[in-house]
Amino acid sequence: MNLAVDHLTLAHGGRDVVRDVSFEIAAGEMVAILGPNGSGKSTLLRGMARLHPPRSGRVLLDGRDIRTMNSRHVARIMAILPQAPASGLDLTVRELAFRGRYPHQGLLQRVTRRDIDAVEWALEATDALALAERPLSHLSGGERQRAWIAMALAQEPRILLLDEPTTFLDVAHQVEVMHLLRRLNARGITIVAVLHDLALAGRFTTRIIAIRDGRVAFDGPPAAVLDPQALERVFGVPMLVLPDPDTGLPIPIPRPDPALCPAATPAPAPAPRGAG
Amino acid sequence: MANMAAPAAEPAGSAPTRALPRTPWRPLAVLFIGLALLALAGYTSLMFGAVRLSPGEVWSGLTSPDDVFARNVVWQIRYPRLLDAMIVGAGLAAAGALLQGVTRNPLADPTILGVTAACGLASASLIVYDPQSPQWAIAAACVLGGLLGAAILYVIAWRGAVSPLRLTLAGVALSAFFGAAIVGLLASSRTFLQTSLGFLAGGLYGSDWRDLWAALPWFTLGILGAIALAGRLNILALGDDVAAGLGLLTDRTRLLVLATVGILTAAAVSVAGLVSFVGLVCPHIARYTIGHDNRLVIPFSALYGAILVVLADLGARLIIRPAELPMGIITAAIGAPFLLYLVRFR
Repeated sequence: MNLAVDHLTLAHGGRDVVRDVSFEIAAGEMVAILGPNGSGKSTLLRGMARLHPPRSGRVLLDGRDIRTMNSRHVARIMAILPQAPASGLDLTVRELAFRGRYPHQGLLQRVTRRDIDAVEWALEATDALALAERPLSHLSGGERQRAWIAMALAQEPRILLLDEPTTFLDVAHQVEVMHLLRRLNARGITIVAVLHDLALAGRFTTRIIAIRDGRVAFDGPPAAVLDPQALERVFGVPMLVLPDPDTGLPIPIPRPDPALCPAATPAPAPAPRGAG
Repeated sequence: MANMAAPAAEPAGSAPTRALPRTPWRPLAVLFIGLALLALAGYTSLMFGAVRLSPGEVWSGLTSPDDVFARNVVWQIRYPRLLDAMIVGAGLAAAGALLQGVTRNPLADPTILGVTAACGLASASLIVYDPQSPQWAIAAACVLGGLLGAAILYVIAWRGAVSPLRLTLAGVALSAFFGAAIVGLLASSRTFLQTSLGFLAGGLYGSDWRDLWAALPWFTLGILGAIALAGRLNILALGDDVAAGLGLLTDRTRLLVLATVGILTAAAVSVAGLVSFVGLVCPHIARYTIGHDNRLVIPFSALYGAILVVLADLGARLIIRPAELPMGIITAAIGAPFLLYLVRFR
């Protein structure tokens, strides 16, 4: 299932925040969308998920405009997990996952064997079976994120869109969520995630789309996009890109003024190794 | 879904097949108790009034056409009034459950948000314009008022971001405005002051079969709508973005819910006038007894609403016998402290 963004322009508060953006995402890709705050990356993701009506342009699923498709039909193909979903829900993890079956159910929401199997599979895939009967309010941030991903997976989507799935998590849970997304991608689900953490994007995705001022600034494999010059153009701050000693993948970090680093020694700093 | 490890592809082989969700014994038990309470309260309410009947006399009044006296009292006066009480309570409580679900605000209620007063204003306008209006026309006017009130609420509350505070304040303002308009209308039409007290305070004095038949189609429509919308309310509770991502048409759902609230409230107001707090209290009791699934909360709220109003009407007839209190005073006496409790402790 191929997802295409075709000359998409999205307005927010009378201002165009996504401007004439076009790209295609093929089945099985794992894509990160990066960009500074206010660059329009979250709005772009919402537009791709039909949560934000376009001012012009289209989003196509296998060539069909999603605005002309039945919304529940779209939901059976593509799931979206917004940033910070509702809190304070009095549901268990399993009950939440069952709500993900909505696009497959009829008016009376009778539970079928297929619903039960899909929920079971979603809980298993997110490693949430042990949490299934726990209320959402009793979970840690990482567990709660897994529960929401389980809800999205219960939709049996072929494309999963996520808006900053790691943002409020500590390091261990960030890695845990990215590992989970990789496993889902290995099972054939296309993943598109807005990410804040450049290093996570560099390690766990196959393609990075960098957004600046509502336009695609760079689009390519991590090694190409996570380049000091490219990143400085996107984020407006000098960047240093170090190779991961284990994988050789780029680890970008901002390059501050050494004078503002109180623990820095005045001695000549070891020369940074070049990327790659 | 060919490229996915679809769960349906491998129906549990060696592992014991997972059972369908357990039979919901608790809701069934609560349902049984609730229906028993309703039957008991209903039968008791048939015994009391201007004359007191024994349980046996009530039974022969219901079943045998020969006992003319009991037949007249029970069949012509008390039984329709009992059914009126049930649809008033069930309608208001279901409307309250819908509103609390759609606004995600535990203080939402058709009275607090001004829908009751909108129905009342429409009905009072019609009665003042033509005191001989048939009951079906009054019910239709109430529905019109209810739908208008709900539409105003929708426009005010859902322009831009949804805020429970803004919704509540808008409701309070609407409620006060429509309430003042009703009193002004009734006061300027002199002749009505006597009977309008029962309407303003809410009561079932003199409610009969005609009220029932005029309200019943709207009530039925509203209850069926409420039950059909319950599952979608569950999805809406996940937040607008998640709900829309799941394929729910969120704005259309909200409009349908508010229209249903208008119709249910109208059915109740056309029978009993301005009864308050039933829609606030009952959904809380429902959630306390059977959890947060709206597919259960809505029908159970309706059941509890019916019980509450039948009991309140019984109390209204007994407390200052042989005179009658407006029944709305009793629901307010129960509901207002409950509201204060919610504000203070929840």
